[in-house]
Amino acid sequence: MDGYNFAYLDEQTKRMIRRALLKGVAIPGYQVPFGGREMPMPYGWGTGGVQLTASILGAYDILKVIDQGADDTTNAVSIRHFFQRVAGVETTTATTAADVIQTRHRIPETPLRSGQILVFQVPIPEPLRFIEPSEQETRLMHALEEYGVMHVKLYEDIARYGHIATTYAYPVKVDGRYVMDPSPIPKFDNPKLDGNPALMLFGAGREKRLYAIPPYTRVESLDFEDHPFEVQSWEHTCALCGSDHSYLDEVITDDKGGRMFVCSDTDYCQTRRGEVA
Amino acid sequence: MDKAMTVKTETTRDLVWPGLADPAHDSQRLFRQILGALSEPGTLTTLALPAPPQVAPSDALGAALWGVVLTLCDLETRVWIAADLDSPALREALTFHTGARITDDPASADFALLTHESFDPQTPFAVGSDTYPDRGTTLLVAVERLENDSNGADDADHGWRLSGPGIAESRVLDIGDGAGCRALMTRLAGNRASFPQGLDAIFGCGAQLAAIPRSTCITRTDSQEMN
Ligand SMILES: [Zn+2]
Repeated sequence: MDGYNFAYLDEQTKRMIRRALLKGVAIPGYQVPFGGREMPMPYGWGTGGVQLTASILGAYDILKVIDQGADDTTNAVSIRHFFQRVAGVETTTATTAADVIQTRHRIPETPLRSGQILVFQVPIPEPLRFIEPSEQETRLMHALEEYGVMHVKLYEDIARYGHIATTYAYPVKVDGRYVMDPSPIPKFDNPKLDGNPALMLFGAGREKRLYAIPPYTRVESLDFEDHPFEVQSWEHTCALCGSDHSYLDEVITDDKGGRMFVCSDTDYCQTRRGEVA
Repeated sequence: MDKAMTVKTETTRDLVWPGLADPAHDSQRLFRQILGALSEPGTLTTLALPAPPQVAPSDALGAALWGVVLTLCDLETRVWIAADLDSPALREALTFHTGARITDDPASADFALLTHESFDPQTPFAVGSDTYPDRGTTLLVAVERLENDSNGADDADHGWRLSGPGIAESRVLDIGDGAGCRALMTRLAGNRASFPQGLDAIFGCGAQLAAIPRSTCITRTDSQEMN
């Protein structure tokens, strides 16, 4: 498209982000600072993820964009249109057809394959931030592997509620070293981070940090021997496709209090319904 | 075009260090291959771009490593060049195509161009700090051999077995068995002990490329001690 660089960002910015991405991949779970650029959208719209996608995307890639599992929310649609306009790429809603998937708040239910890249939009990259506001201090805590405070926080949950109350952005340890915020995905998705054949990249636009989980990397959710990590489960199955193993959203169906549970991953649900029909 | 002109062009072409024909799309394509190589250590990939001139001593730098330079270097990066690769032509081409600054100080280099023969474990490349481990040198190493388990490294009795992030179980990479290769792989094997500080390495052999980031565990396939 005339008047734009390919994929919006100038080549110098892309190179800088690319160099940072390679360091992120070499040090799994470590937050690499990068000199991000202002993007033509507000921070809440995933500018970190958008900048990473813009730096990796090629003319022949097929792009999928999801928000809370759905391809059709305003956020997903606008990011998809942005890349159609500035990179002319083909887009898809099918997880299996995508080369690059940019996501906010979910990992697709359909298993990813080797060669695919999942780009996460991250609001707050530092998992220790709520304990320690100083960036200098949290860097030092990561350097010294001082993660006791994180366990204390989770254990306070157990003392108060009898179980770990954190249900999303549940902290993980990557390859036995860095504690990492997996972005606000439900903890239901945490097991998908472990040993995934796809490359996973995380971008935080406001704080200008990126980090990565290479394929086939060990990723453990923090827990305790007497309180092992557990994912959410539902008594219901999906009202549309009958799935008993996907992440379900509760939706209101009418103004008389009617409700049902449906897959949050719309592509997964539609694919299952297509196969059943 | 007259004959004299044609001859001149032919002669010059052999000595020209090629840039990227379509910078935005070529660098994206090459970057994805480099990203793939670092994400899955020990896998081989072939970079499609014109090779640099085959003139000693810089001819050891094949198309793959030249492609890495063109893709990643710019005026924000410092490049260190080992003596056995260095030439005025290389310096000129590097400056012309990327704007990168050439440095004599390995500790300030973002990228270091070297050959397996010239690797010296005493060279003080940057390994990053404990709070900013990313601020380290990436080694770009020209090697004479680059094989993995899918193309014959399994038969070699001097390969290296890689495991860790990016590798489902293990993968064998063979970069040759010269003294420099052994010193280099021993140095890279030491990354695990100093992690997260360490050196990341990208190997080039002609147009072929493979990488070993600092997160990789390295052992000899013949189980010799690596110290
Ligand atoms: Zn469903």
